[in-house]
Amino acid sequence: MTRQDVATGYRQVPEDFVKHLLGTLGIVMGLVLLASILFSYPEKSPLTIRSYATAHPVAFEQVVLRALDGQGQIANYGPPYNHGTGSVQSSLQSWAGVLHPINAATDFVLKPLGMAASINPAIGPALADFRHASASQQTRWEQAATTGLARATLQKGQVVMPRGQYGPLPVLLNAALGLGKSGLMSGALTRNPAVFTHFNTQNDLLFLQGAPLQTNPGTQTLAGPNWGIIHPAVNGYPAAWWMTIPTWIYQWPAVANSAAPDALALMIGFVFWAMLAFTPWIPLWNRVPRFVGIHRLIWQEYYRTHPGRRARMLREREVPRA
Amino acid sequence: MFAVANWTVTSKRLLSGVMSAETWLPTELPEYARGFMYMLGSLTASSFAVLVASGIVLAMNGPASWSYNGAVHFVAATHFWAVQAFFFFMMLHLWRVFFTGAWRGGRGLTWLLGAIALLVAIPTAFTGFLINGDLYSQWNAVQAKDGLNALGLGWVNLTNAGQMFGMHVVVLPLTLTVIIGLHITLVRMKSVVPPYPEADTPALARGDDA
Repeated sequence: MTRQDVATGYRQVPEDFVKHLLGTLGIVMGLVLLASILFSYPEKSPLTIRSYATAHPVAFEQVVLRALDGQGQIANYGPPYNHGTGSVQSSLQSWAGVLHPINAATDFVLKPLGMAASINPAIGPALADFRHASASQQTRWEQAATTGLARATLQKGQVVMPRGQYGPLPVLLNAALGLGKSGLMSGALTRNPAVFTHFNTQNDLLFLQGAPLQTNPGTQTLAGPNWGIIHPAVNGYPAAWWMTIPTWIYQWPAVANSAAPDALALMIGFVFWAMLAFTPWIPLWNRVPRFVGIHRLIWQEYYRTHPGRRARMLREREVPRA
Repeated sequence: MFAVANWTVTSKRLLSGVMSAETWLPTELPEYARGFMYMLGSLTASSFAVLVASGIVLAMNGPASWSYNGAVHFVAATHFWAVQAFFFFMMLHLWRVFFTGAWRGGRGLTWLLGAIALLVAIPTAFTGFLINGDLYSQWNAVQAKDGLNALGLGWVNLTNAGQMFGMHVVVLPLTLTVIIGLHITLVRMKSVVPPYPEADTPALARGDDA
């Protein structure tokens, strides 16, 4: 068999190609319309800063405090957000550099509180005290507040910590809570004074990316160990099931326990894809389908009506035996 | 040779084959290329056409319009089911072309373009999920960002809905359209791969590569 005879020398049969295309288009449109009418599509209400602050005031203040003291995941993430080291998985990540700068203390806490200070004058002096304190003093207050929040209680909508040396932090944390519960914090986080549009949702989402989203009941089935993205947020619907192989790779113990699980999983996934993409040129692998034999089912009719030399020989041998 | 070649003449010769009605509107096909197995590619392309059409309606109405407008919400549902159909038929098509060794006879590039289309379709669909704006969008944006950041691709900011809108509506679908277009053009130019020869033909050991 040469390249030429693979492409030519076969009997042609009449075909209405336009009818064929309109037919497949009709089938897809019918299926899609039917599914849309019957099932609409899966939507799970998003987690908002307002809903999280309202439902979990103490945990919300802990998120704010971790952004302020640099212990939060984004505060110490590393590239592309800042020069931290907490989430650096590869030298590629370091080389890419800081592309979307975030100073968690300033961007997630102090700037929004600065805006809130104009409508709540009590915030201004506390904010000034914090800004003017030395770094070591700020750290002492933050450490005390970390302990204090772990034993805090809720009284009349305010988070109250046991007595301690917190400086202006109780005022600031409760002001942040008030801002969060008001629904105004998302706007403060996504505000860019250079433009009036709010296309960039980065800070709003990254503020929520730690404990708020990780502990949300709605995300538990979407977590990595539960095969993440291939599950829908609303039960019963399909999701991105075509990501099954990359998601499966994430489950490999060597990947899951690696220091760089994301980089490793995506790179292995790419190798899988490359093997598929270069199938025609990979010796032996490109002969697998011939030996698997499923083509005999696909071309069953053709092989039946065009018995080859082997089939003819077998028949000829069988005739005398019969 | 290169210096004296007339590029226009060469382009004209190439395009006259590619753009002819004979290429795109065949009235006959090889006898082995019949049945449901040979509808899978067209079903995938049809799903893509439905995706583009519904996507244009969504883009014309703007981000989040599906959250407060019932008609746009319905179009968003068709967009969701069309992507399910697209991947479903693409996977069936992939199995059919794999098990029939469809790269044979100089069709390696056709196969490679199909594989690239699959690769590009994944972020195209993913960015669509990200701009829907629900919990699934939030969760997958923050989860997947670590993978891209780790590979040094942090300029693709999954948490920036504005950038994702541009990627999903312009960059990725245009790229995908070009790749799918080239893939289908090669399929039409080279026709579909013929059956494997019978098991004892002398050419058994040859012809499996591209």
